[in-house]
Amino acid sequence: MIKKTNKKAFPCGLTRRELTWQMGNGFSGLALTSLLSGSGFFDDNLIASDETLLPKPSHFKTSAKSCIFLTMNGGPSQVDTFDYKPELQKYAGKTLPEDKKYINSGGRGVGYLTPNWRPFQPGGESGILISDYFPHVRKHADKLAVVRSCHADSHAHGSALVQMNTGMPLIGRPSLGSWVTYGLGNQNDSLPAYVVMLDKRGGPISGMPNWSSGFMPATFQGTLFRPTGSPILDLQGPEVFSGEAQRNQLDFLDHLNHVHFQSRDKPEELAARIQNYELAYRMQSEAPEAVELSDESSHTLEAYGIGKTSTDEFGKNCLIARRLVERGVRFIQLYSGGGHLEETWDAHESIEKNHGQHGLEVDQPIAALLDDLDQRGLLDETLVVWGGEFGRMPFSEGKDAPGRNHNPYGFSMWMAGGGVKGGTVYGETDEFGFEAVVDKVHVHDIHATILHLMGMDHELLTYFHQGRKESLTDVHGRIINEIIA
Amino acid sequence: MRRCFVVLGIFIISINILLSEEKAGLDWWSFQKIIRPEIPKLENSFNAKPIDAFIRSELEKNNIKPSPVSSPDRLIKRIYYDLVGLPPSYESVQSFINDKDIYAYEKLVDDLLDSSHFGERWARHWFDVVRYAETNGYERDEVKPNIWKYRDWVIKAFNSNMSYDQFVKEQLAGDEIDEPTESSVIATGMLRAGTWNDEPNDPHEYKYERLEDMVDVVSTAFLGLTVRCARCHDHKFDPIPQVDYYRMAAAFWAGTIDPGSRSDMGGPNDKQLGYEKVFGWTDIHRIPPPLHLLKNGDPHKKTFIVKPGNLSLVAHLNRPIMDPPKNSKTSWRRRQLAEYITNSDNPLTARVMVNRIWQHLMGKGIVATPNNFGLKSAIPSHPELLDWLAIEFVEGGWSIKRMIKMIVLSETYKQGLINPSSNEIMQIDPDNRLLWKRDIRRMDAEVLRDSLLEVSGDLNLKMGGESFYPDLAPEVLEGFSRKSSAWAPSPHKDQLRRSVYMISKRHLLVPFMKAFDFPSSEKPCGNRNITTVVSQSLAMLNNQFIHSRSLNLARTLIETHEEDREAMFAAWKKIFSRAPESDELDVSFKHFQKQKSIFSGKDNARLLALSSVCHVLLNSNEFLYID
Repeated sequence: MIKKTNKKAFPCGLTRRELTWQMGNGFSGLALTSLLSGSGFFDDNLIASDETLLPKPSHFKTSAKSCIFLTMNGGPSQVDTFDYKPELQKYAGKTLPEDKKYINSGGRGVGYLTPNWRPFQPGGESGILISDYFPHVRKHADKLAVVRSCHADSHAHGSALVQMNTGMPLIGRPSLGSWVTYGLGNQNDSLPAYVVMLDKRGGPISGMPNWSSGFMPATFQGTLFRPTGSPILDLQGPEVFSGEAQRNQLDFLDHLNHVHFQSRDKPEELAARIQNYELAYRMQSEAPEAVELSDESSHTLEAYGIGKTSTDEFGKNCLIARRLVERGVRFIQLYSGGGHLEETWDAHESIEKNHGQHGLEVDQPIAALLDDLDQRGLLDETLVVWGGEFGRMPFSEGKDAPGRNHNPYGFSMWMAGGGVKGGTVYGETDEFGFEAVVDKVHVHDIHATILHLMGMDHELLTYFHQGRKESLTDVHGRIINEIIA
Repeated sequence: MRRCFVVLGIFIISINILLSEEKAGLDWWSFQKIIRPEIPKLENSFNAKPIDAFIRSELEKNNIKPSPVSSPDRLIKRIYYDLVGLPPSYESVQSFINDKDIYAYEKLVDDLLDSSHFGERWARHWFDVVRYAETNGYERDEVKPNIWKYRDWVIKAFNSNMSYDQFVKEQLAGDEIDEPTESSVIATGMLRAGTWNDEPNDPHEYKYERLEDMVDVVSTAFLGLTVRCARCHDHKFDPIPQVDYYRMAAAFWAGTIDPGSRSDMGGPNDKQLGYEKVFGWTDIHRIPPPLHLLKNGDPHKKTFIVKPGNLSLVAHLNRPIMDPPKNSKTSWRRRQLAEYITNSDNPLTARVMVNRIWQHLMGKGIVATPNNFGLKSAIPSHPELLDWLAIEFVEGGWSIKRMIKMIVLSETYKQGLINPSSNEIMQIDPDNRLLWKRDIRRMDAEVLRDSLLEVSGDLNLKMGGESFYPDLAPEVLEGFSRKSSAWAPSPHKDQLRRSVYMISKRHLLVPFMKAFDFPSSEKPCGNRNITTVVSQSLAMLNNQFIHSRSLNLARTLIETHEEDREAMFAAWKKIFSRAPESDELDVSFKHFQKQKSIFSGKDNARLLALSSVCHVLLNSNEFLYID
């Protein structure tokens, strides 16, 4: 039973940890807290008292066990992808009305309202309108819940992406994947619970804070994963110390450590470290296996576009994401776009050129992923999220300028699988596609919904830090019930 | 039966604590004037030092006997790691063991406190507290030019035993003190050592984020208070009304808080600061524009004007902030804030700092929440000892070295890991809150890296100057958005310097350091998380840095020892600062031979096999954990 009292307005309430401190952290305190938790007293901190990676029960039963977050780094244009605005034809060449206020990010040129660069067509039975930048994804329209009314707080890539990942445009907070991992733990010893795969062209602006665990222990931070060979840092050492030589080393080490352990009164921490070496040894063989695609059928490889220049990289990442889901990894984030400007979805120069390229790279792989998950019966337990850190302006950057500037006031994201009601459209932007106006969805709401779909209450999933109960959504966040099946 | 009532009593009291949305009043213990407590009299021992008297009287009450004193070989390692962060050589250990002078330990302590490596070790503790890193974070993560001079200033301050009140004053108001110098202005770099957003959404709103950052670092570092929580509303738990937040924030309102040129990174330019190549802070207003209290902390909801002032929770120190003298260019607000903090009557300043010192030496603070002494703090394990130390600290001229020396000379500090009665005591005090034994501690990231370099003979002890960039695996650099310009490794020799001189870049903390819980530096960190995770084992097993250390050590040993067993013997001495027992030598030798036969096809099989032994020893818990 979940108690729904003492929430929001009081983010600094008492947790088990605080009570333990107040009780003196001693025997009586511990005994009392376990007594209280046994009686259900701590239900509102069901999860958050455990800092290990052991699998933990969720707040409530849901179907999603894993999440794949497809991050379109740079900010795709909503009016060119998932938010059709026929009115822009009518207004083409005019400027955005003056009562529409916005910050002109980077002080770039302000041009004229420009209609979608590629046509939209309805997909599936639901008939959701999706542009020709995503013809393959369109076939899966009935799996998607498109949210057209997203908005965020920052117009700059660095802080906007940090917000999409951590809830706040200020760096230093734990990322969504850290919260999920903290809340649910790991299901597979041999792989990290939270995996991040970057675009080969580079990392996102503002780097590591995007997958940091912030003030939580590093146990919950994202692990960068590479699509070939040795996927995790330090998974392989020098060749000469591999195989039998390494096994010898580990046996020798184990002997030394056991003697040491006996002579030091057997502290738990030392026992854990001894075990971790065996775990590390296992990971060395099992983690590469997760990225070893040779046992996939040629049909599958082809479906993901692996082997085709444009789709090879993202296709591999998507396929690996599916393999990681199969192995119980909780949170997988794939970046499309890395580095700066046109290497990302940051289409200042030309929507057609930029989105033409990046859309081509990801469209077929994403469609294949949805299809593959579905066919393997994994889609129900896998939440797939698609989106960038913000959207783009409905107007150009100057006369005959084919690009668009940043726009955090209105943009589209979609979710699929994992308990999402497919074939749904939620929220609206104004007639220009400039700002969200109907059923507005803030980043906090996206986060609250993701946590909910994974069985966690965003108000109850808290971490006590510096005198305050911190949470991903702080005092905000509304679950978008309309897109939940 | 009686016991049942006691349990029930505790239960009821705690339920009351839980349910009565309690808030600390002005009578909360940490806000009370510190009164020198009487030193407890012990039943079982005479002539106990005051620290031991406080600790042992609690043990006596619980019928617990402390652990016997640690063996000298373990004690000397402990004190080396705690004071200078480096291992003693085998020879130093031997000469200490054989030194029969009853003052041998004290002499050792004095020597280590005099060592310039002391400052390198202790400055690093301080950098956590003041959320120090060398770049801005956000869009460009640029290096803050010359911020390393602040790092060197802190190291020097610890080495020269600058009194703590001066240490506070210079960091807060080094430009406003009576005789400012370039050095004291460098100290104000503390205020700018945090993140700085080079492209904030709304530069005018961002001013208030910067205020929050400065209020947060100053109030947690010096006062152990979470004043930041009062930006939006009265503090939920501590008697800090919202207006107090703004009274404190007003001290920073007179500086370059307005958005300026991006190249100035939110600080004064050379002309305003009065110095070139200094990354410091100063006021640009003698009387700054008014600061309004913001409803719900929202920059768009200005309410009334707040006058600068001190926290109201210690009534007798709550004096009005005066206008600066006529000839002053600055507002004198930070100066007066510093005076408030360092007033010997301030009940928090000394308590908070002695608690930090205690924590670094003993593994945990008397108050386990070093950055929070309010209602949400941990109950002090030894409140009277805390007060006694605080009084001694102030009366001893705020001398950090004196305080450290006093603690490490105590029997409590010197006791061993193993208590003969530990099975029974675990029933009473499983967390060793009462300090009936020494807790084993894992090396932190810096000590680990520095020690690896030291035992392999690679450590470059050059002090000060610009930070070095270590080599990173190519796959690590993939995380950068600007791959080519982001990271240029320093010349190899510089990369062998101590970790305190390693660049700390907010977009990419060196993975090896991060794996061992190097903190993310966006917010003040009072005590680091200590995790035991598999990525640490992977790094120790496979990282090239460790393999280079083992190989270098093996190479030196081979050059100096013809006999394999002798070389192995020497490896133990180097790595553990002790000689191996004969069975230990046997098993090493066995490993050596096994590996040698695997490597037999190679012409350097002997070197590789010895390197393998070194590598295992460096991975061992005996190396990684401090007794």
